Amino acid sequence: MGNSKEKAEQTVRSFIDRVKPEAGEITLDSPLYADGIGLDSLETAELSAVLEDELGSDPFTADEMPQTLADILAFYGDEVVADA
Amino acid sequence: MIELLRRSAAEGPDRVAIVVDEGTTTYGALLASAERVSAALIARRITRFAVLDHDAANVVALLAGSSLAGAEACQYPPTEDADEVAALASRFEHDVVVSAEPLDLPGVTVLAPSELIENGAVSRGEPPAQRPLIVLTTGTTGAPRGVRQDWNRLVRAVRRVEPAEGQRWLLAYGLHQFAGLQILMHVFAAGATLVAPAPRRPREGLAAMRTHLVTHASATPTYWRFLLAELRSDGAAVPALAQITLGGEAIPAPLLGQLSEAFPDARISQVYAASEFGSSGSQRDGRNGLSLDVLDRGDDADLAMKIVDGELWVRSRIGMLGYYGEEPVDADNWRATGDLVEIVEDRILFRGRTSEVINVGGVKVHPLPIEDRVGAVDGVDMARVYGRANAMTGAIVAVEVVAAPGADTDAIAAAIREACADLPPASRPRSVKFVDSVSMSGNKIIRRDR
Repeated sequence: MGNSKEKAEQTVRSFIDRVKPEAGEITLDSPLYADGIGLDSLETAELSAVLEDELGSDPFTADEMPQTLADILAFYGDEVVADA
Repeated sequence: MIELLRRSAAEGPDRVAIVVDEGTTTYGALLASAERVSAALIARRITRFAVLDHDAANVVALLAGSSLAGAEACQYPPTEDADEVAALASRFEHDVVVSAEPLDLPGVTVLAPSELIENGAVSRGEPPAQRPLIVLTTGTTGAPRGVRQDWNRLVRAVRRVEPAEGQRWLLAYGLHQFAGLQILMHVFAAGATLVAPAPRRPREGLAAMRTHLVTHASATPTYWRFLLAELRSDGAAVPALAQITLGGEAIPAPLLGQLSEAFPDARISQVYAASEFGSSGSQRDGRNGLSLDVLDRGDDADLAMKIVDGELWVRSRIGMLGYYGEEPVDADNWRATGDLVEIVEDRILFRGRTSEVINVGGVKVHPLPIEDRVGAVDGVDMARVYGRANAMTGAIVAVEVVAAPGADTDAIAAAIREACADLPPASRPRSVKFVDSVSMSGNKIIRRDR
C-alpha cells in the first residue's frame, strides 16, 4: 500500500529505467523531454498509458502537459492506493 | 442444396452424411427428412422462416427442405437470450421461427423442428427456379445484416467438386455462417461425411478428429492455433489429417509451418471467401496469401479481383443478391472488401482490415504483422493488436495477450518488446496487457478454458 504520489513516482522511475536507462539520476525537476530525460512523443504516450493502467488516471490528459516528474506527481493526490 | 443431397442419396442411401455426438444420419434418412420438411412448408404456406437449432442433422434437413420448397430460410446464431431472438425476428420480419427450444415470441409462430421434419407427407418434386436464403453477417460493426443468397448460386460454386466418399470433414464453423454452409455443400457435393461436434471449439474439434477419424478440416487460423495448443498440451495421438484448410482471417506467418510440422501428411490450403461475394477458390500450394494470377482472371470470371490503394476489391457473379431490406446489388459492379493487402514478390498478403488500421500520430500502422511477431513469442498462446486511445498521439499500438498456463508474464512482456524492437517506433507495442480471453475479428471471442 502507498499513496498515489508514491506509486506514481515509482511507476515513472521504473518506466524511465526501462526505456531510458542512459538517463542517469532523475530528480523531481528533471525535464522529461528533449533537454532532459529525452522522452520522445511515443515514449511519452507510452508513459501516459502506463500511468493510466497503474493509477487509473493519466496526467497527460490534463490541460497543462507535465514537464517534469514533479508535474506528474502534482496531478495525483495523497489518497492511499493498493499496489497493482 | 436439395440436388446435392438427392445425388448423394441416390449413389449411397446408407452412406453416413452427418456425424454428431449423439449419433449418425445417412444420406437416405436426411433426404427423407428434407422432403418431409418441404411438404410441411408448402402445406403450411410458409414462404420464409428462421431456424434456431444446434443439431446439425435437423438444420441440414430444414435447409435442404426449404431449398426444395423455395422457402427462404435464415439461421439465427446460437443464443439462449429470448430478447435477442425477438430482436432478430423483428429486424428480419420473421413471423415463423423453427426452434429446438420453446420460445415465447409475441406475434411469432414458433415451431419445433420435429413439426416439420416428422411431417407425414413427402415432397418429391423439382425445386423452383428461385430458391432464396438469408445468411446473417457476424455484426462486427453493429447489428447483423442479412445477406440475401440463392441456392442456385451457392451450388454453382461446388459444381467441380469430385466424388470423395471416404472423406470425413470436420465442421468447425456454425452452419449459420457462410463458411459452415460452404463446408456443408462441399461435403454433400463429394458424397462425403460431415462430422459436427458441439460446441464447435478447438478442444471438441480435436476430440472429434480422433474419435470420428476426421480426414479433412477447415477452420480459421485462430481455431488452428488453439487446436495446436491443445495438441501440444494433451500429448495424445495426432489426428491423421489429409487436408487442412484455413480461411476467414488473415493467416499469421508462422502458422503454416507449425501446421506442416504437426500434420506432416496433410495438404494445406487456404480459402478467401465472404458471404457477400462467395469464394475465390482454394490456394493449394501451402504458401501464405493469394497467388498474383487471381488478378488476371478476365471479364468472364465468376469472381474477379483487383487492388485499389492497398485494398482488395472484388466483382462477383456468384455472390449475394443484396442485403436484406436494401436494393439488389449489380453483379458486374466492383466492391471494396475492406481487406488490406500488400504484394510481396509473387503473392498477395493480407495485412488486416481497413477498420483495424491504427493511426499513431498520423502514421498508419497495420496490426497483423505485429500480431505475427507477438504470437511467435514463447509463452504467448494468443494475441490481439489494437489501437488504444491516447492523449499524446491519438492512439498507440496495444496488445492483449493470453499467456500459456504458468508462464511468467513479466518475462513475456519483455520478450514482446524485444521481438518488436526493430519495428518502426509507431508500430512498437506501447501497452501490453495479459487477459484470459481476447476478442478477435468478426466478433469471435477466444477464451482459454483451463
